[in-house]
Amino acid sequence: MACVLGISAHYHDAAAALVVDGRVVAAIQEERLSRIKNDPGLPIAAALACLQFAGIDPGAVDALAFYEEPFAKLERVLVHLLRNLPRTWRLFPRALASQLGSKIWVLDHLSEATGVPRGRVLTCEHHHSHAASAFLVSPYDDAAVLVVDGVGEAHSTTLWHGQGGALRLLASVDFPHSLGLLYAGLTAWLGFPVNEGEYKVMGLAAWGRPHLRDEFSKIVTLHPDGAYELELGCFAHMSDAELGFGPGLERILGPRRPPGRPWDLDDPADRRYADVAATLQAVLEDALLGLAQRARALTGSHNLCLAGGVALNARANARLRREAGFARVFVQPAAGDAGGALGAALIAAQRLGDPRPSALLSAALGLPIDAARGHDVARALGLSVRRLDDPATTTARLIAEDRIVAHARGRFEWGPRALGQRSLLARPRDRNIRERMNRLIKQREPFRPFAPAVLSESTAEYFAADADDMSPFMTTVAPVLDTKRERLAAVTHEDGSARLQTVEATRAPELHAVLTALAAAGEDPIALNTSFNGAGEPIVASSEDALAFFLRHNIDALILEDLLIERPK
Amino acid sequence: MNPPRPQRPGLLRRLGARARTVLRLILHFLHPARFVLAPLLIVLLLAGMLLMFTGGLAYVAPFVYTLF
Repeated sequence: MACVLGISAHYHDAAAALVVDGRVVAAIQEERLSRIKNDPGLPIAAALACLQFAGIDPGAVDALAFYEEPFAKLERVLVHLLRNLPRTWRLFPRALASQLGSKIWVLDHLSEATGVPRGRVLTCEHHHSHAASAFLVSPYDDAAVLVVDGVGEAHSTTLWHGQGGALRLLASVDFPHSLGLLYAGLTAWLGFPVNEGEYKVMGLAAWGRPHLRDEFSKIVTLHPDGAYELELGCFAHMSDAELGFGPGLERILGPRRPPGRPWDLDDPADRRYADVAATLQAVLEDALLGLAQRARALTGSHNLCLAGGVALNARANARLRREAGFARVFVQPAAGDAGGALGAALIAAQRLGDPRPSALLSAALGLPIDAARGHDVARALGLSVRRLDDPATTTARLIAEDRIVAHARGRFEWGPRALGQRSLLARPRDRNIRERMNRLIKQREPFRPFAPAVLSESTAEYFAADADDMSPFMTTVAPVLDTKRERLAAVTHEDGSARLQTVEATRAPELHAVLTALAAAGEDPIALNTSFNGAGEPIVASSEDALAFFLRHNIDALILEDLLIERPK
Repeated sequence: MNPPRPQRPGLLRRLGARARTVLRLILHFLHPARFVLAPLLIVLLLAGMLLMFTGGLAYVAPFVYTLF
């Protein structure tokens, strides 16, 4: 029996995960504690917070597992810099300063900063960490595992067969060909920030028509066996760290959209950009479908696990669920690089003889709210604080009154989705609530949807789908029933879909109680559920973060465990 | 509130750890398939040691993970 800390860091979404005796005890993204969105730095605060939560001294950690192999990464960087000379000569000093100045020493730095002895620090391969993060906490004993991201050490796509506790690599696609970098390059071309704007491209896709297939056939080639190739002249990720796309892309699709320009989807130019997003989404889905069908053929399994940043594309996941021939599909809530920390911890725990953990039921793996501290700080700030006997019923009443409620109860979520523990909740009926949410808090582009959380047992009454293995973690979409679109106007996307979260008492008890109270009050058992953060901020973690948010944004009420902090009407 | 950080090891222990990392790196690149990179690596290691002693360099860009 072992205590293992997993770490992912240095590129984006640094995180730490703690596995004790084969059980996932805590998992925290560094951004929640550092308050830096997508914080890529070493997740020392997250690692120490995991240990403190579990009451474990760093000296008692049996292994600290880093989610990738720094030397293999250095090798790939060297080979590609050399292979792409002379285009890369300007990058040499910076690339090598970055590698040799910090990245190859990462294991030493982790040991020194956490207090875990250096001899207990080990590494796992990047895509293996991803695959383990999905399969080993999935509810399946046998599954095909598809990992798709930008790039790890060398692989950008891998197919695995998971059986029992073992993962076997079956096939791969290597850098510089990469679906993650295809999506990232087009994200940059559309004027969005890379590593953050991919969700916006997915939202924008619903507003366009995927009619630019001929153009995209010159950008990426999909082979019948599921493999794919990028036309490298369209991309710059081999030689440029800033842009990601090359002049070839602009020759095919036209000039890039200027970053920061406000969107007007009545403007023909912006409509065309939406068409590009729609075609990109369709091509990505086709590529993933080819890979998933290949995985199905190679493994013969009826279950599919997805991991890597591309697995956060909820629309693509829904299509795989419908068309790839698998009975069940699972996506771990932190499918991106943060999830690598969990995967690395699970691999190391297995190496030390621990059993495979039970299936992940809840994403609430972060730190709890300190309500007493929240009470003291709120009183010190002169806010009106009231202790509630039944916070769920009060929350439901406020939602039914069309008020926006910030809801912070329980341990915060693992992964980029707010699943009820740190959520802004509102009534899903009126489209105006979207405008209000955007104006007061989110400041999102007008084409981006808000998501619904629905009582699991009521899902089929509102959506053309049942709860599945993805919907509790909000990693899939489902069509809203035609008859319910008017009632769910605030959470129905342009294409009639919604990125729903199905809520069960065992997985998200606090949110389940709120939805149950809504139903008891004669409302639909559904709430608009968006992340408890402002534009460009990480999701709230502590009671202090929640109170700071309450002071900055004009929301109606804040629930901090059993405390109600209300703004005067 | 973030938990307190453990005390950093002394200079000698840190230097020892760095030396072991350099040794592991050399062993990694001693593989026959990677011989071609060895001369480059030696130059880079010298530069790396220099950077290490001068405090390193942090650089973040959107596609940094594909190159750096």
